[in-house]
Amino acid sequence: MSAICEQVDAALAGSRPALARLLSIAERSGPELLEIEDRISARVGNALVVGVTGPPGAGKSTLINALLPHALKDFDGVGVLAVDPSSPFSDGAILGDRVRMQGGEYGSSVFIRSMASRGELGGLARAASTAMRLMDACGWSLIIIETLGIGQVELDVMNLADTTLVVLNPGWGDTIQANKAGLTEAGDVFVINKADKPGADVTRTDLLESLSLLNREPPPPVCQSTASTGDGVAELWTALRDHQDYLEQSGQLDSARAHKQQLLVRRTITHQLTHEVERLMDSDLATSMLDQSTLGQLDLRQTVDRLLRELARPRG
Amino acid sequence: MKKQDANLVIETTSGIELKAYYTPDDVPPAHRSRARQAPGEAPYHRGFHPTGYRSKPWRIFQLSGFGKPEDENERIKFLLKNGETGFIMEHDRNTADHCYNVDHPEVLARREDVGLTGAVMQSVRDMAICLDGLPVDTSFGHAGGAVVQHAPFALAGYWTVARKRGYDLSRIAGTGQSDFNLTYLGCVTKQQIPTDAGLRFNADIIEFCAEHLPRWVPVSIAGYNAADTGLTPDQELGALFANAVEYLDEIKRRQNMPLEFAAKGCGGVSFRASIHLFEEAAKMRAARLMWSDLLQSRYGLTDPKTANLRIHCVTAGSRMTYQQPLNNIVRGTVMAMAAVLGGVQSLGVSGYDEALSIPSEHAHQMSVRIQQILQEETNLCAVTDPLGGSYYVETLTATLVEKAWAFFEQIQQQGGYLASLDSGWLHAQASENQYKEFMAMESGQQNVVGVTCATEDETPFHVDGFMGTDDAFDVALERLKDIRRSRHEAGANAALKNLEAVCRSDRNIMPAMLDALESDVTLGEIGDVYREVFGDWNTPIQT
Amino acid sequence: MAKTGLDGHWRGPTIVARALRDAGFEVIMIGMANTDDIVRAAVDEDVDLVGLNVGGHIDVAIRAVNSVQEARPEVPIFAGGTVPPRSVKMLQDLGVEVYPPGSQLADIVDAAQRLTATR
Ligand SMILES: Nc1nc2c(ncn2[C@@H]2O[C@H](COP(=O)(O)OP(=O)(O)O)[C@@H](O)[C@H]2O)c(=O)[nH]1
Ligand SMILES: [Mg+2]
Repeated sequence: MSAICEQVDAALAGSRPALARLLSIAERSGPELLEIEDRISARVGNALVVGVTGPPGAGKSTLINALLPHALKDFDGVGVLAVDPSSPFSDGAILGDRVRMQGGEYGSSVFIRSMASRGELGGLARAASTAMRLMDACGWSLIIIETLGIGQVELDVMNLADTTLVVLNPGWGDTIQANKAGLTEAGDVFVINKADKPGADVTRTDLLESLSLLNREPPPPVCQSTASTGDGVAELWTALRDHQDYLEQSGQLDSARAHKQQLLVRRTITHQLTHEVERLMDSDLATSMLDQSTLGQLDLRQTVDRLLRELARPRG
Repeated sequence: MKKQDANLVIETTSGIELKAYYTPDDVPPAHRSRARQAPGEAPYHRGFHPTGYRSKPWRIFQLSGFGKPEDENERIKFLLKNGETGFIMEHDRNTADHCYNVDHPEVLARREDVGLTGAVMQSVRDMAICLDGLPVDTSFGHAGGAVVQHAPFALAGYWTVARKRGYDLSRIAGTGQSDFNLTYLGCVTKQQIPTDAGLRFNADIIEFCAEHLPRWVPVSIAGYNAADTGLTPDQELGALFANAVEYLDEIKRRQNMPLEFAAKGCGGVSFRASIHLFEEAAKMRAARLMWSDLLQSRYGLTDPKTANLRIHCVTAGSRMTYQQPLNNIVRGTVMAMAAVLGGVQSLGVSGYDEALSIPSEHAHQMSVRIQQILQEETNLCAVTDPLGGSYYVETLTATLVEKAWAFFEQIQQQGGYLASLDSGWLHAQASENQYKEFMAMESGQQNVVGVTCATEDETPFHVDGFMGTDDAFDVALERLKDIRRSRHEAGANAALKNLEAVCRSDRNIMPAMLDALESDVTLGEIGDVYREVFGDWNTPIQT
Repeated sequence: MAKTGLDGHWRGPTIVARALRDAGFEVIMIGMANTDDIVRAAVDEDVDLVGLNVGGHIDVAIRAVNSVQEARPEVPIFAGGTVPPRSVKMLQDLGVEVYPPGSQLADIVDAAQRLTATR
């Protein structure tokens, strides 16, 4: 058995260090990725996944921390994946979510993992989906993913999560329209956090108005919370549970997951293909063909067809 | 020092570009006429009093304390014997800053740290031990309570001890600081009440003192803590007055007392004196000018008793180096001179071992000696405002005033001083400056002797950090058990219940706090009430 | 990166974290943390290096060091903060690299790179 498989088995048997190690391996997204996916696939699909998104500083981490005690009444283990941006200049990152959620008081029933986005657009790290399935397979029955929600492209979390929670603050009404649109479409549940600050009611009105334009049925709930004191957090948890119940009862959970599975397959293929194309372009064949086409001995169509055929050729 | 390009741009810490020399034409026109004013006359930049240190030398006022209350008591007596002219109680920061008793899990996890930064005082009994034999009636005392949420406890403890000794509270002089910069900007605690609750505490203290302790300085805004976190001198000034405005506006809104009294209560402040000698001296002058200006323009107050700012000053701890610690005696002296040339009323000099530990007895003595030498040997006390009329210093003073008001305005645009703490805006300013300062050292642009240059060290004196006592935790835990065993439990409970009710109301917190201390309620119990009633501050930075 | 003490000086750790990020490190900040918090983060985050900001009594730092070394024996530790020379020695004896006040950021970054080079 390969070392990776041994790690996976240890993690599946409950070893935290093994899970932690595998998450790092997943982050490097090397060739072991598929091996990991293979070995866990039979165990995946039991966890409920809640995605938490919203502008930086909205209080996502603080809110997740406040949700933990409620979540632990309904789930025996909660895994948290907290994604923060990488610096585009150095590829380094400062990951600060853990400052707001140490999780220590819950002992072994909470697992928190930070992850840098490593240049991935969409607000998630590339490894996030594998990471999520790893935690799922290892028995973390509720998984909360915190992502950066900036601009409208940064909303990949909705493709991973069963329920997407959008966190906003008083004053959100003043943000530009384009940024509003993405967030309003993404959310299954909305919460106006920092309700202790002035302007929560105006924001609520703004939000309800934006949501009404989308004509969603049933309209998504809009909660209010003060994460730092815990006010409104119990109600928020109930709203999240209600959404999950609704998904299950309406049969949407399965169809949504099927859709997400499709997206996942598509993503993985794209990912692999990119690798293959890069390899191909580095090959001697590609180099010589490129030389020929530069000299005008081959036209573009001939070059592309020949290389595509090479790509499709089964390798030994 | 390397020879420098004569055309090199040299700036002060506040970013004021310096010329090679100054002439009368450099002094901003609006400021020229002020130079003719005598010290003790509005706008007071020339000093608090015409005869200055001749009639009243600055108070030698050292931060001191560690270990058990009796260890601190001994150290304070040592300092008084060595020439200190006021005294400061220092409370253990693990317990005091957080309002925890020593059996709180976060303290238990760090039990060896207990008593390292001040004496552990969990009840009025501990305060009584610490104050035993100290001249609370004749000396200017600092009750500790530098931290906003801790101040009501520390003050009530000090006053209760004084009252029990038979002193009339209306005659007692001292302070407790209760400063926001300390734990909301500088050393951010793990847990503390939100800023609005803190503002209420401070307003309560101001009102209570106006009625019962007229000689007490109820709050003392500490620019020091902002500056040592990274704010430049102009920002230190701007932030300090933005903070004062929060207090005064609140008192005005409450309408429980005349604003003059409140202004007097807020008019005892503390600054940092750092190493850029003339800029720091100019800062003290600028501060007095700004205060009288602020009171007049914003509140219409002109009475010299309130418009004349009183300044306590502490030399910059962060300037003290770990390497070649004896060099810090020189740094301490230069920084002390900056404060004295600026005309401050009281002064503490950091220990030469500051970068290694809390001050040893010898380092403490040295801090006192530096000040005594300045007072006794240098003739520095003979003339008030010796820098007055210097083209350079007057220009610096005027420029600092201008820049400081600009920063004050920026803070107002952020919604005011407390809002700029809540949002992390002030932290961001400080953080940026820290980084720049660090980079200047790193790149060799700013030399630090003994650290980035001149690193050979021939000293025969090995300085190795003072580590206090090792029984502070055990004794504190024992005393905690003892007070729980021996106090009148029903009385303590009732007092605590009452304190909680007052916290939930808008009544002044101090009478209930005095009752609680009198009834042997402990610090951690009071902290629990705070946490229950006020919740936790949303720390805007990742500490 | 963790701070072992309860006093909230945040200057040092923030500057170091920033320099490490600029050198390409992913720095997980956990703030003021007790030994259990530090160990949990070191394990769950599968870190390559632990940075401790220590101050106060050296026994508190030593306890954190011992526990991390027990849980993740292969992970190097470096420390900074207000550490008098004799405490520096004690930490060094445990295999911890120590950067007292006045250390160059460049040296700290170099150390981080060197300590993680084989990982
Ligand atoms: N006033 C207020 N501040 C909050 C609340 N929730 C979080 N914060 C503060 O907002 C800041 C950012 O919180 P954080 O959880 O790190 O936000 P994130 O970037 O969305 O994860 C921190 O200073 C929190 O203490 C709240 O309900 N009210
Ligand atoms: Mg966060």
